[in-house]
Amino acid sequence: MLRNYFKIAWRNLLKNKSSSFINIMGLTIGISTCMVILIFVRYESTFDAHHSNAEKTYRIVQRYSLPEETLYWNTTAYPLAEALRNDFPEIDVVTQISGPVSRVFQVEDNFGNVKRFEESQVLFVDAQYPKTFDVHWLAGDLNSALSGINSVVLTAELAKKFFGLEKENYNSILGRTIFLQSKDPFTVTGVVASPPGNSDHQYTMLIPYEFFKINNEYFSSNWSGNYQGTTFVVLRSAKIKEALEKKIAGWKKKYLNPEDDKRIAYALQPLKEIHNETLYGNSPGGYIMPANILNTALIVALFILLIAIINFVNLLTAQSNSRSKEVGIRKVMGGGRFNLIVQFIFENSLIIIGILALSVFIVRILLNFLNTNLSVIDLQLELGWSHVGILLFIGGLTLALAAVYPALVVSAFKPIQALRNSIRFSGTNRFNLRKSLVTFQFAVVQLFVIAAIVLAMQMNHFRETDLGFSSDAVVITETPEFEKLEVYRERLLGNSGINKVAFGSGPPMAVNGIQLGTNYRLPEQPEEEVMMAEMKIADIHYLDFYDMELVAGRNFLGNKEAFDEFIVNETLLKSYGWNAEEAIGKKIQINEGQATIVGVVKDFNNNSLQNEISPCILLNWTYYQSNAFIKISDANHLSLGVIKNIWEQTFNNSIYDYQFLEDSIEKEYAVENLVFTGFGIFSILAISIGCLGLFGLMSFMISKKAKEIGIRKVLGATLFENLSLFTKEYIGLVALAFLVAAPLVYYFMNQWLEGFTYRIELSFWMFLSGGFVTLIIAILTCSFQSIKAALANPIYALKEE
Amino acid sequence: MLLQLRNIFKWVNSGGQRLFLLKDINLNVEEGEFISVMGPSGSGKSTLLNVIGMLDNFDEGEYEFLHESVHALKEKHRANLYKEYIGFVFQSYHLLDELTVKENLEMPLLYKKFKGTERKAMVADMLDRFNIVGKKDLFPTQLSGGQQQLVGVARALIANPKLILADEPTGNLNSAQSEEIMALFKQLNSEGVTIIQVTHSEKNAAYGSRVINLLDGRMIK
Ligand SMILES: Nc1ncnc2c1ncn2[C@@H]1O[C@H](COP(=O)(O)OP(=O)(O)OP(=O)(O)O)[C@@H](O)[C@H]1O
Ligand SMILES: [Mg+2]
Repeated sequence: MLRNYFKIAWRNLLKNKSSSFINIMGLTIGISTCMVILIFVRYESTFDAHHSNAEKTYRIVQRYSLPEETLYWNTTAYPLAEALRNDFPEIDVVTQISGPVSRVFQVEDNFGNVKRFEESQVLFVDAQYPKTFDVHWLAGDLNSALSGINSVVLTAELAKKFFGLEKENYNSILGRTIFLQSKDPFTVTGVVASPPGNSDHQYTMLIPYEFFKINNEYFSSNWSGNYQGTTFVVLRSAKIKEALEKKIAGWKKKYLNPEDDKRIAYALQPLKEIHNETLYGNSPGGYIMPANILNTALIVALFILLIAIINFVNLLTAQSNSRSKEVGIRKVMGGGRFNLIVQFIFENSLIIIGILALSVFIVRILLNFLNTNLSVIDLQLELGWSHVGILLFIGGLTLALAAVYPALVVSAFKPIQALRNSIRFSGTNRFNLRKSLVTFQFAVVQLFVIAAIVLAMQMNHFRETDLGFSSDAVVITETPEFEKLEVYRERLLGNSGINKVAFGSGPPMAVNGIQLGTNYRLPEQPEEEVMMAEMKIADIHYLDFYDMELVAGRNFLGNKEAFDEFIVNETLLKSYGWNAEEAIGKKIQINEGQATIVGVVKDFNNNSLQNEISPCILLNWTYYQSNAFIKISDANHLSLGVIKNIWEQTFNNSIYDYQFLEDSIEKEYAVENLVFTGFGIFSILAISIGCLGLFGLMSFMISKKAKEIGIRKVLGATLFENLSLFTKEYIGLVALAFLVAAPLVYYFMNQWLEGFTYRIELSFWMFLSGGFVTLIIAILTCSFQSIKAALANPIYALKEE
Repeated sequence: MLLQLRNIFKWVNSGGQRLFLLKDINLNVEEGEFISVMGPSGSGKSTLLNVIGMLDNFDEGEYEFLHESVHALKEKHRANLYKEYIGFVFQSYHLLDELTVKENLEMPLLYKKFKGTERKAMVADMLDRFNIVGKKDLFPTQLSGGQQQLVGVARALIANPKLILADEPTGNLNSAQSEEIMALFKQLNSEGVTIIQVTHSEKNAAYGSRVINLLDGRMIK
């Protein structure tokens, strides 16, 4: 019996080659896309879930309450970890992390060659780290590897790179020495596997926190600063979390000064929530994938799968019309409805299972493509056994909807009518169902298209908005030694391709997550009334370099070891209600000291455009001028080579790196870019699936109506009249779909845009053009088939019968 | 007695009016009869045949088939009844284009739960009996009309039905082909198979033992 079913299924597939192809293509695209999105969502929502203690691990975060705002920090004061360890026996493990940081190392390999490397993922961790997070040891003793001071643990990859290991005999490098900045010696005490991609703790090298502590005595013992340290705890049980938070609230006054004790509230954030929670953001080195984006992605995946399934069902039930004769014959020959249901379910399932297999193959290719080509985030997506669940879910849903439903429809045909070929779809429920399915499909397509248009406009808005400073052709390099700044500047300006050079702590807009923060108040104000401001160190060329405009006062006269001048932005003035002229000459107290306002700069976007401009203080300090800003004039970037040479001559102890300011700014919109790219791709996919479906439906309709067209033509109907016979109906459906889609997109896009301070206004034309594009595509798809039919010689069509 | 129709009425409602397709049909068929149903187009011949074949319902009257009251039977029982005792032959053959001759013959057996070896034997037997062994792996479209109808008859016969219902079996065939099929019917009938055929041709009707005339859904003498 099954052999018989299989044969007839196979022969039918071959008989309707083109429609089978369309059908299989559509569903394959849908299933593959859905799978890729689900795998991505799973990947992004299981960050650090693989650690054996994941359920009981928490990050200590702090809320910092100021009079006019509350700040959420994911970093804590360095001494916190040790204090918790000493005072709370109910906490199993407390670990302190600092970094990741970038450092230069010197290594002598097996052949006696001394090489230098820059490593950007150096993490300082204490001996508790491997008890908190799973680390896969390949060599060395996990209990003692990190307990020394000058020990170092390398990942296998780095071990190979450093020592030129051929084989995986990692034990052979234990005890070898590498040098930090060519002075501090470190002994290799362990080799570990690289952390998996879906972990926010990426490192290539682990150095004992003790080393950091000894070398940064001030930070590591200071309770009132907030530096780049992160504290994780493993609790005896997740149940005691709340009780512990309460206990900590009463305990912290033991260490914090009364001011901080009032402002700071510690909280325990579950490890598994970190990656998807925007409030606290990620620890240094990690990125955030907000939960609402993942939810949207899930909905998108489901919609794409649904429209693909709808296509499949539509085409299958349409084709089943041509199978009605078979149903009739089989019933007359004694086949019961049950037999026929089994047959058609079997047949459809066979096709769907084939499609699933094909999709798995395509998904592997797509994942590879994403891993290598998606530059905004570093993905390591892999198809593994853990995805069987996803496959079963998609497969099950598809089988239930696309295999069972058409089988039920087809098997219900009455034998006599089926044989007479008089099963009609018009006027019956089934036809209305098909219409509503097509409408739904086009509603989804339009949803995607309009969303993509809005997203494109917003991305464009980010790029086009006047930031209040000029960012083009600016190259940024580090400046490792402050003493050599003037030498560096002079050497740079000696080249014709380089126009301007300035130094400072960072560019006007905070990029790469680096922003110096401080508190400010008037000298006579009490300390509890401080407010938060961003501080920037700038030299006398900074304002001119970035075309920033002074609205009052003057520029700095020069940088000093003890700064004495401030230039503030207009936003800061608002906190005191001053106008620009009034502000000049006023004294302000910040954490780092006191100085006089000598200038007011016109507001510029010191935060990326999702956020508002915040109070900002520029100061004339010699410290922290850690970046050089270099304006190049040549378009072909010849100067880049020149800069590299000069840099290496000047700071011959470090490794050169540079970036374009515009690239760094673009990176601030990584998540938005990802969403936009995603929607762009998905709308194209949705359109393709929708068109495939429409194409298939049309070719079917036309084969049914070939005779009608023939007769109409013989009776004198024009091409246009014949065309409108088919297209009219679908234009109506697309229009109806628009009415469904437009309000939904309006709602969702409004919500999304609300997250940005600088946003576009939704306007009517975005919606109309989205609808119009879909309509045109639908008409073209319909016409392609019907023109063929309408142009055909009527004789052939009429002879058919 | 093979079957008996008593006062059978069948109608459809059209525009608030009852349109009668069959009116007061009374018919007794004995085993071994060969009956020809005749009448002008639209007189209800096919409808009658479908009612006898239990493919179509009727609205009034009684129908007994081998002492079972068909009108009182559940759908499933009725299906079992015709599955076991009735074979159909159609004017346009109604072979499955995607199946070979052999597979077409085997198809009804699949629904009647015969074992694989039994099926093979029965199919081989039929191919032999109808002299179409050489054509067993061809598809219907590769056969002439007469050959196709031969397969159609073979398919109707394969499960040894007591009754064969044939709706204009030679309607699409030329006269030589028609004669071949009629001769075949005659022979089957002589072997004990009851046959009811619809036909427009006096010549074909002459092969039968009795003629029933229909006009506007009513039997006339
Ligand atoms: N489902 C139906 N609804 C309405 N009228 C029907 C239906 N089925 C059959 N008829 C009508 O019943 C009448 C008898 O139809 P039937 O097919 O039995 O005629 P026939 O004698 O077989 O004609 P022909 O020799 O042309 O095959 C016809 O007038 C037909 O239009
Ligand atoms: Mg008829």
